[in-house]
Formats: sequence, structure tokens, C-alpha cells
Amino acid sequence: MSDWGFLRQVFRGSRVWTGSAYLLLALTWAAGIALLALSGWFITASALAGAGLLLGLELFTPSAGIRAAALLRTLARYGERVIGHEAVLRVLASLRARSFASISRLPIASQRQLRSGDLQHRLTADIDTLDGVPLRITGPVVAAALAVLAATVLAYWLAPWPAAVLILATAILTLAASLLAARLGQARGRALVERRSRQRVALLDYFGGLADLIAYGRADAQRMLLDELDREQARGVLLQERVALFTDQAVQGLVAMTTLAMLALALHWHAADAIDAPVAVLLTLMTLGLNEALSTLPGAFWRTGESLQAAARLRDLGVDPGGRAAVATAERSPIEGGLRDEPTFRARNLAIGFGGEHPLVTGLDFSLQPGQPLVIHGRSGLGKSTLLETLAGERPPLGGMVALAGREVGAWPELRLYRWIGYLPQETLLLDTSIAGNLRLGRPELTDQALWTALETVDLAQALRREGLGLDYMVGEMGRRLSGGQARRLALAWLILRDTPIILLDEPFSGLDRATERRVLARLAPWLATRRAVIVTHAPERLPADWPRHAIQPATIAPACHGHMQHQET
Amino acid sequence: MLLRELLKPHRHWLHLSWSAGVGAGLATIALAGIIAWIVHQAVFEPGTAAAWLWLGLAFIAVITRHGLQALRDWAGQQLAFRVRGDLRERMVATAARIGPVHLAHRGHSGAWASRYQEQVEALGGYYTRYLPALGLALAVPLVLLAAAFTQDWVAGLLLLFSAPLIPVFMALIGMGSQQVHEAQQDRQNRLAGHFLDRIRNLDLLRRSLALDAAADEVAETAQDYRRLSMRVLRVAFLSSAVMEFFSAVAIGLVAIYVGFALLGFLDFGPAGQMTLFSGLFVLLLAPEYFQPLRQFAQSYHDRAGAVAAAEALAPLLLEPSLPKTEPEPLPAGAAPLLLRLDRVSLRYDPDGPPALDDLSLNVAPGEDVAIVGPSGSGKSTLLALCAGFISPDSGTLGLAEPARHFAWMGQRAHLFHGSLRDNLALGTPPGTSDRELIAALSAAGLPVDDPTLPKGLDTPIGEGNRGLSGGQAQRVALARALLSNSRLWLLDEPTSALDPDTEDDLLSRVLEHARQRGVTILLATHHAAVYGRMRRVVHLDQGRLREDGDV
Repeated sequence: MSDWGFLRQVFRGSRVWTGSAYLLLALTWAAGIALLALSGWFITASALAGAGLLLGLELFTPSAGIRAAALLRTLARYGERVIGHEAVLRVLASLRARSFASISRLPIASQRQLRSGDLQHRLTADIDTLDGVPLRITGPVVAAALAVLAATVLAYWLAPWPAAVLILATAILTLAASLLAARLGQARGRALVERRSRQRVALLDYFGGLADLIAYGRADAQRMLLDELDREQARGVLLQERVALFTDQAVQGLVAMTTLAMLALALHWHAADAIDAPVAVLLTLMTLGLNEALSTLPGAFWRTGESLQAAARLRDLGVDPGGRAAVATAERSPIEGGLRDEPTFRARNLAIGFGGEHPLVTGLDFSLQPGQPLVIHGRSGLGKSTLLETLAGERPPLGGMVALAGREVGAWPELRLYRWIGYLPQETLLLDTSIAGNLRLGRPELTDQALWTALETVDLAQALRREGLGLDYMVGEMGRRLSGGQARRLALAWLILRDTPIILLDEPFSGLDRATERRVLARLAPWLATRRAVIVTHAPERLPADWPRHAIQPATIAPACHGHMQHQET
Repeated sequence: MLLRELLKPHRHWLHLSWSAGVGAGLATIALAGIIAWIVHQAVFEPGTAAAWLWLGLAFIAVITRHGLQALRDWAGQQLAFRVRGDLRERMVATAARIGPVHLAHRGHSGAWASRYQEQVEALGGYYTRYLPALGLALAVPLVLLAAAFTQDWVAGLLLLFSAPLIPVFMALIGMGSQQVHEAQQDRQNRLAGHFLDRIRNLDLLRRSLALDAAADEVAETAQDYRRLSMRVLRVAFLSSAVMEFFSAVAIGLVAIYVGFALLGFLDFGPAGQMTLFSGLFVLLLAPEYFQPLRQFAQSYHDRAGAVAAAEALAPLLLEPSLPKTEPEPLPAGAAPLLLRLDRVSLRYDPDGPPALDDLSLNVAPGEDVAIVGPSGSGKSTLLALCAGFISPDSGTLGLAEPARHFAWMGQRAHLFHGSLRDNLALGTPPGTSDRELIAALSAAGLPVDDPTLPKGLDTPIGEGNRGLSGGQAQRVALARALLSNSRLWLLDEPTSALDPDTEDDLLSRVLEHARQRGVTILLATHHAAVYGRMRRVVHLDQGRLREDGDV
């Protein structure tokens, strides 16, 4: 499927709305042309009648026509705006829903690329770009075609054929000029985008590393580099803007020239008695009126480039343009039974790391026992978080296996996997919704009482009550309306409510002061006593001394630990 | 106001744009007159051979008009180009002037970068479209009106009275839609951000088995967003309807007035003198009369965007309240000092507590000094002051010549985009060999054959997720300091991301290196394990200093 095909699919669902908007836009333009042309006809006919050269001029129809055109223009414009935006927002709604559904069905490895903030913003920006397609691209093109067609037919009917040909030729020339300019602009546009990301990198280094740059005497050099990069970039933008501006004026000038040519032709036909004077003026003013429609074309084609690029990126992401929204739910349909059972969890000769690179840790063997949380510690940068990600089945191991209930962890369907494994990663994730909304995630049936109990366990209930905040308190974007420690504890409460038999915790108490950490740990311990758990930490001394420990070593195994783990398996 | 201030040095481009726009208006008048004249001649005096001459003149008028309109837009673009360039240079220069400490107070580097790129770009429309359209919306209709009055003052009055009604009605509707908008803005913003929020939290939703529910929610929210937005837009679009209504009705009225006058039905005022030429001329002017108003209305949202962007940008361009003072040079005498702080005080917030309070400190070459205190006691401020990143409100800072070249390590080490080699080379004299780089790296506890550095010195840094961990970044920054020939090292919690063993190991090497080469170290920390290794410890509490004496 091409990018255009993708776009067509996307807009299929709102065809009635977009179609109506296009028609109304054409009607707005047609009413404008009619107003001008009819007025010209009426004035000329009146002048002839006033001079006694035209007899029996009927006044009612033309003046009523003029009034009708004026009114129609107003109504059509308002309708076009309202219905056009209704169409756009409908497209946006379905595109967002489809994009989200498609992305949620991607394999984890593909979803991972969306962890970068830049990509997230690009995705939303791409969707916003596409939703403008009906109003800014197809709308003007379709409506201009309709307006030109109507004018051509009218010209053919009123005057000898060259009049119709002249109008058509102008439209085609406009189209060609617009396409040419768009092509020129797109080539430049790509270079601009590339230079822009280079510029961003230099900016981040300057603003973020200013202290180091000053210390090592490189600030002025970096500053000059920035000014140079910006001048280069701004000149590129200016050049692109200039192409757009000259195309605009060229097209408007072309329509004005055509008007003059139509005037010359019409007067020539008038002199030859082929048409009468009012019709000659009508033809001229009709041609002039086409300017409104044709002058939108350069802008419309100018924007196709960015829309196609946006469509291509969404397609690359695997966004489904339509039609198959219900398919994947079947893959996630519930698996009956076995939810309360106690699956075994062990790592066998496990090697972890990033694909295509040296493994970070190798030869890891352990088996989890209920009530004996395994504490994994070690210095920073050794891959503790990567290990936990691998244990959670979110990253394939480089060697060996993680066995959940006797089967490779990544081979379980998600529905089963996440009913067994509760994984709290290092980064605190919270939805921009209420406290209750975050806690009920995936478990809408939980009572308020259950939520408060969990908040009690993480020592958050009292703090909330003290500040007069209830379960409906909105936590803000990425939990920004909570302190770091509160957000962490809310995430912990979420994990508790997941109520899974296997618990994987990555620095669960980061951002908490010592006193709170001790309180939370004391309340959490009985809950952990019935579960199999792994806790990654840089401060193992703060966890109960009777929990087994494993110091992580770079790409080797510590024999002592190895034995210790084997011992536990019994 | 920032937008006006930026315009000042480049005002002449705006004047050029306005002049070109008015010139194009005059060409429009000429074109309308010529067309009306050609028609008039053809109808009432057919066979005059001069028609071709008039067509030639019309051709010239068209070329002139569109040439001038191009000039009008081009001048606007030049204006925006220059204003944006100025502004960006100012942002970068201001950042250097206020220094890294005040810079961080005004936003993180990503915020600065996106303001530099996006917000400055968002100012463009104000200069390319809004300002030119503002002047021309006033000037061009007046010129066209004057032309219409020369032919028929009744038709002129018809146009004159219709135009001022447009802004009045648009303002009324604008206020109405503003009210609707404000009432719902919070909700609308949240609905608009809902999608991005759920994309950010894909992992959380998957782990909660809530992906399908979230997909339904995204679809529902998008529909809510549509309904809410349409409620606002339905009112807002009334303004464009009003615009169309008055211009269409005015054109229609002019046409009917002219027609009836030509028919001889009207016997008041100038109606008796109406000719086909004058009637057609006024009719052709009528749509052009409303065109500048329409362009102004369209450019109005450019202004709103630019005002918002300027509000975000203005705080970044403020100069510090007190001018930065240069450190005084210290003489090289018998018992030379490297660094001397004399009764230094500093506040970030004029109403808040002092960050440094009447603080004096002398540091001799080769000393190693630990600055110890709880968080918020002013350790980082003291280091930044020694680095010259901030100036004291009162008191003086003296630096000996060797102290002007210092090595710096902030709380979070900044690594630059590029290879590991580029990052190390920042502090090295040119021509430093790879061997020296590798030696410094392993001295800093990051051997080059570490599995996380798959390409050795060529390992790219800062691309995608391949960045180094916090502890590794600190070690690279330490290696950078080791490689520099700086005689003064200012280190702010240099080992905060390291575990105790590594920390201890690294400190030994750093101190050994420093003692061998006579490097002076000022190190901020609150870890006993760290300051216990230093020969001199000073305690900072609420900006005041207490000396431990030599350890």
C-alpha cells in the first residue's frame, strides 16, 4: 500500500463529512464568482438599458440572484468551516484510536522505540499533520476542480469554445506550477529537517554543558558554531519561504492575465456580434473570480510533502489505517483457570545484555522461593535494570533462559504473563488521571476500601488525608503533581493491587527518605512473605539481612553466590 | 514588549512591506480603471483602435501589482529572518552572560533548546504576516475608498460604512468564543494531551493488562475532544461568517445601487452622473477593498501564537539583577594564595535566605579542600562562585592566574554528543594521543575494554538509549579532568553515583594524581567516606563557614 493509499484508508470512515465540507467550500467559491459575475452582467445590462440600447431588461431575477449569492456565500462559508472541522476532528478521533490500538499490538521491542520523548512528540505531531489533510489539501483541490469545472461549462455554454479552453488551460497551468514548486520545496524541506536535528544536538550541548564548556575554554567556539548553524538553517528556511511566495504571486498574476485575455476575446466576440456586452463582462469577471479558488492550490500541494512523510512514518510504526480494529482482542482473550496457582520461577545459565554487544552478565542461575526475596545488588552500570527487564520477559536473554512455570518467560501470552508477574521498573510510570484511576488500572472492580488499604501499606494514605486529598486527586502529567517519593509509593501501591505471585522490583524505594523507607518496608514484608520476589538495589544493607543476596559481577559469575542459589532450589 | 523591541532595529523592512502593499493597492486601482474603461469604450464607442494600447497598460498594471505584492511578502520574510536571528544570538549570548547556574534556574537544556528552535520560529508569523497586514488593513482600504469617492460618493459611503462594522462584530464574537474557550480550556488541554500520555505509559498499560481498555478510552476521549472543540469552534467561526456577510452584502448593494443608478431610477446625489465606466470601476474595487481586512483577520492567530511564544521567551533574556563582576587577580607573592574569598554574600531570591553569608576562605596552591554540608547548605553555590559562574552580591573573589583555568565537574556530569574520544578531548591540549586518553579512562575506573564500550574510544555517546549510566558519565568527566592541565579542580559530588568500593578506589587515584602535580582540589560532598580522605575540611551550614582545622 502506498502512502496515498494509507491516507485514503484513514479518511474513509469520515467520507460523508469531508465530502460535504468539500461541496460547501466549492459552493462558497461558486457563490463568490456568481456574485461578481452577475453584478457585472447586471451593471452592463443596466447601462445599456439606461442608454436605451437594451429593451425590456427584467430587474427582479438578477437583483434577487445577487442577493441570493451574497447570502449563500455567507451560509456556505460558515457551513464549510463548521462541517470541515467536524470532519477533521472525526478523522483525528479515529486516527488516534487506530494508532493507539495498532501500537498497543506491536511487539515490545517495537514499542520500546516509543520510549523516547522525541518520537512520542513526532507521533502526535504526525497525527495532527494528517488530520489537516481534508481541510488544507484535498478540500481546496477538490473544490477548486469543481469551481473550474462549473466555470468551464458555463463559458462553453455562453461563448465560443476558446473561452472554455482558456479557463481549463489556466487551471492546468496553475496545477503544474503548484506541483513544481511543491517538489522544489520538498527537496529543500528534507535537508532542513536534517539540519534541524543537528542544530538541536548542538543546542543541548551548549545549554546543558555550558559549565564544562566555560571550564575548558570552549564556550565561545560552541557559541560561534551555534550562530553559524542558525544562519545556515535560517537561510534555508528563507529560501523555502521565497519559493512559496513567488509561486503564490505567479499563480495570482496568471489568473489576472487570463482575465485580460478573456476580456480581449470577449470584446472581440462582442464586436463580431457573437455575444452581447453583459455576457462579455460576465465572462471576464467570472475568470477574475476564479482567483480565490486557484490561489489556494500552491499552498495545498506545498503541504502534501509533510503529510506524506507523516503517513509514511505512521505506516512504519505499523499503524493500521482502518478496518481491522477488532482482530487482536482475540489474541488477548482470557485464558481460563490457573490464576491462583503458584508458578515456579528460575534463571538458568542466563546471559543478559543488548543484542549484538558483549553480554553484561553471564552464567546467572537461581530459583525463587516464596518469602525469600532475592536481593540483587552491585555497582551502577553493570546491568541490574537490564537483568530485571529480562526476568520480566520484556527483553530476550542473550543466552540461557528464564523459566516461568517451566516455560520460557517470553513465550507466555501477555494475559498469563502479567497475571503472574508484577514488575515495577526503575522509572516511575503514572497516568495523567486520578489516584484511583491509576490504582484501578487493569482492575476496575477494586473497591475504594481496597485502594485505601494499599495506600496504607505504602504509607501514603495518611499523607493524603492530612493534605485533604482524596482518591480523585489528579496526579498530573507523569505524576508531576506529586513529589518524587509520593509518586514512587503510588506506583508501589499499584503493584500491590496487581496482586501477582511473582514480584520484580527495581530500586523500589528510590526518592524515599530513610524513615519512610523503613516504614514501607516493614509493612511490605508480610505481603512479600507469600510471594516470589526479586529486588534490585544499590543499598542492600537497608533490606532485611535474612533475605538472600546476589552481587552482580560484570560478565562472570561469583562462585559463592552461585552455590548459594543452587542451595535454595531444594 | 519583546515583540516590539525586536522590531525596532529592522523597522525599515516593515516600512518597505507597507509601501509595497500600498503600491500594489494603487496598481489595483489602475487595473480596475483600465478594465472598466476598455469595457466602457467597447460598449459605447466600438471600433476605437486604442483598445490594444489599454490592454498593454493593463498588462503592465498586473505585473506591477503582483511584483509589488511579492515585494510586500518578501520584505516581511526578511524582517522575520532578521528578528529571529537577533533573538537567537541574544539567547545564546545571554546564556553565556548569566552563566550555567542562572541558566539552569530558568529551565533545563531541553527547554532552552526547544524555545530556541520552536518558540522563536513561532514568532515568524507575527512579522511576516500580522504586522504587514495590520498596517495594510488600514491603508489599502482607505486608498481604494478614496478612488471610489472620486467616482460616486454614495457607493463610497456604502463601502465606508460596511467595513468598520466588521471589526466590531468580530470583536463581539471573539469575546464570546473566548469565554466559551476559557470555560473549557482545562478540560480541552487534558483531552488533547490524553493520547500522548497513554503512549508514554504503554509499558504501564501492558503490565496492567489494560491496553484494550486504554484503546477504548483513547477512542472515547478523542470523541469527547471533538464534541468539546466543536462547541468552541461553532461560536468562533461566526466571525468569519460575519466577514463574508458584510463583504458579500456590500458588493451586492454596490452592484444594485450602480445598476439602478444606470437605469435612471435614482435621482438623488451623484446617481445621475453614473456611467458604465464609473459603475464597473467601483464594482471591481469592492472585493479588493475587503481583501486586506480578510488577510488581517487570517493573520490574527499569528499574533496570538507570537504573544504566547514571546511570553515564554522574555524570562530567558533577562539580565541578572546585579552585573557580573570579574574576579580580582591575586598577586604572586612570598606565600601566594590560589583563591581568596573575602566576606562574600549571595542570595538567589532577594527575599529569601542567603545562599552564602559573609563567607571568607583562603586556599593555597596544592591544597585539597572538602566542602561539607547538608543539601541546600550552599556547597554547589560556593563552587560555582569559585568558577566565576555567579558573582557575589557583596564581598570579593580573588583568583591567581593558574586558577583561571580550572577543571569542572557538576553534580550531573554532562557528556557531549559525539564519541567518547570527543568527550575526553574537550579538556586536552591538541595532539594528545589515544594512549593518554585510554590511560586517563582506566585511571578514572573505566577501562576501555569495558563491555559497555563496544567500540572503545569511538563508542558514540548520547545517541538513543546507548548512553552511559550515571556512574560511567561521572568517570568520563573525571577522566576529562585528569587529562586537562588545569591547576584547580572544582568537583561537585564527583562520586555520588558510585558504590562505596569504586568510590574509594577512585578517590585514591584522583588524590594521588593531584598531589603529584600540585593540583588544588575543592570538592563538595556530604559523605564522610569522601571528606575523610581530604586534608582540609570546611563545613557549610546555611551559607556560613566553619573550619575543621587540618585533618
